[in-house]
Amino acid sequence: MNHNPQSSSVEQIQDMLAETLQVPRQEITPDLAFGDLPQWDSMGHMEVMMRLEELYGIEINTETIAQLTSIPAIYAALAQQDPSESRHA
Amino acid sequence: MPDPLRAEHVFEIIPALTIPDYLVGEVQAKLAYVDEAISGAHITSGGDCIRLDLNQPCDEPQRLELEEKVQRVVTSMVKGAYKLKVQVLEDYLERPLPYAYNPMDELLARGEVSQETAGVFSLGPLLARLINYFEGHFLNLAASFGAAPYRFPTLIPARYLERVNYFRAFPHSLTFVTHLREDLDAIDHFAQHAACDEHGLNTPPGSFAGIQALLSPAVCYHLYFSLADRPLPGGQLAATAVGNCFRYEAINLTSLERLWNFTMREVIFVGPKEFVLENREIARERMRSVFEQVGLAYRVESANDPFFIGEFRKQAAFQSAFQLKFEIRARLPFKDSTLAVGSYNYHQDFFGRNLNITLPDGTPAHTGCVAFGLERMAFAFLAQYGLNPAAWPVAVREALL
Repeated sequence: MNHNPQSSSVEQIQDMLAETLQVPRQEITPDLAFGDLPQWDSMGHMEVMMRLEELYGIEINTETIAQLTSIPAIYAALAQQDPSESRHA
Repeated sequence: MPDPLRAEHVFEIIPALTIPDYLVGEVQAKLAYVDEAISGAHITSGGDCIRLDLNQPCDEPQRLELEEKVQRVVTSMVKGAYKLKVQVLEDYLERPLPYAYNPMDELLARGEVSQETAGVFSLGPLLARLINYFEGHFLNLAASFGAAPYRFPTLIPARYLERVNYFRAFPHSLTFVTHLREDLDAIDHFAQHAACDEHGLNTPPGSFAGIQALLSPAVCYHLYFSLADRPLPGGQLAATAVGNCFRYEAINLTSLERLWNFTMREVIFVGPKEFVLENREIARERMRSVFEQVGLAYRVESANDPFFIGEFRKQAAFQSAFQLKFEIRARLPFKDSTLAVGSYNYHQDFFGRNLNITLPDGTPAHTGCVAFGLERMAFAFLAQYGLNPAAWPVAVREALL
């Protein structure tokens, strides 16, 4: 399923992170960043990256891996992405 | 289509996915661990054919099993792989060099090295003195940071490596340690019957105790564990140690280029992120001057650790994205390639978090290390300048003669 990146809210990103990192939803704060939780370590971060690629068609490469390290950064990237250019999952 | 069995002991496989150029070396290295029947593995330049050299003929069921394993390696490492970013920080590969032969040939002929088994060598006076010379530089580097000297054991507890996920990341390279069970009959039986055959010791596995320890794959882990579960004294630390390290590399074990048992000198930083990153960078600049003095032809470029197949894709991409590892790659003129003789590593707060090493503000400590492979450093130098001191850079010649 391909989500529309521009309609993704911070809450949806929080939901995705909770599911991907297998962390209770209430621990995913809107400003959460890489390293804030034990589960968001290097492996957790790569799981998040792959989930972003799968759900939103974001191109994951070494640049985006280093940039998308917080919920605000992920939200900003999704907000900028043109939905007509999103790749199918 | 390739002829699957072009010769009796050669097997060609079309990989399920074309292996991109930047992954050929990594995939080829991992093929060494697929099966004991493999004595060599080569991937063609287009990444579309894998040739396995076998140490025995294979029947059809064995061939199918081998192919399934190979395809599993290819799929795990190639499918969805991220192209790794290569950043070159220093490039002195083109320093003029007087020598272009494999120094192993002359080292062996002179008796300066003696092979005990695959990946295990004794080194004679020439290499020992050369290693001591390089150690002098590394000790100076450590002293420039006020690094406290440590001495660590060669064994490391299995539970230590478990705690830092080493089993998952590098299972293929582990070397296990055990002993005979405290059982009079087992010990007596060993004393009476132990012998070596083509497979090694003929002792039944049941005679051995469970594995509690392994041979240490790196030096710095011991420091981190000594700091575990308590606040970091003084909030920051520079330390140094040298030690025997062990990484099993199967059929990839080659001369002094790739040893099972090698020696590493490390300068280790533990503390806040800025402390670690700044010192890593300062170390690199100081070593740049040393390598110029020594006349080493080398390049410093981003690299990744040799994670096992299931972990490789994600961990390598993460290391690359955050530029966690840079290797000092010395030129080997005789084979027109380079050899990693050292590395500058940053671990973020991985060890601080996993081992509960805390800073005064309660956050996990960051760590990093500068590591040098002593045998490789000496080998690379000889590969560039040969065994005749008359051809060595003045600084090296005068120090050793």
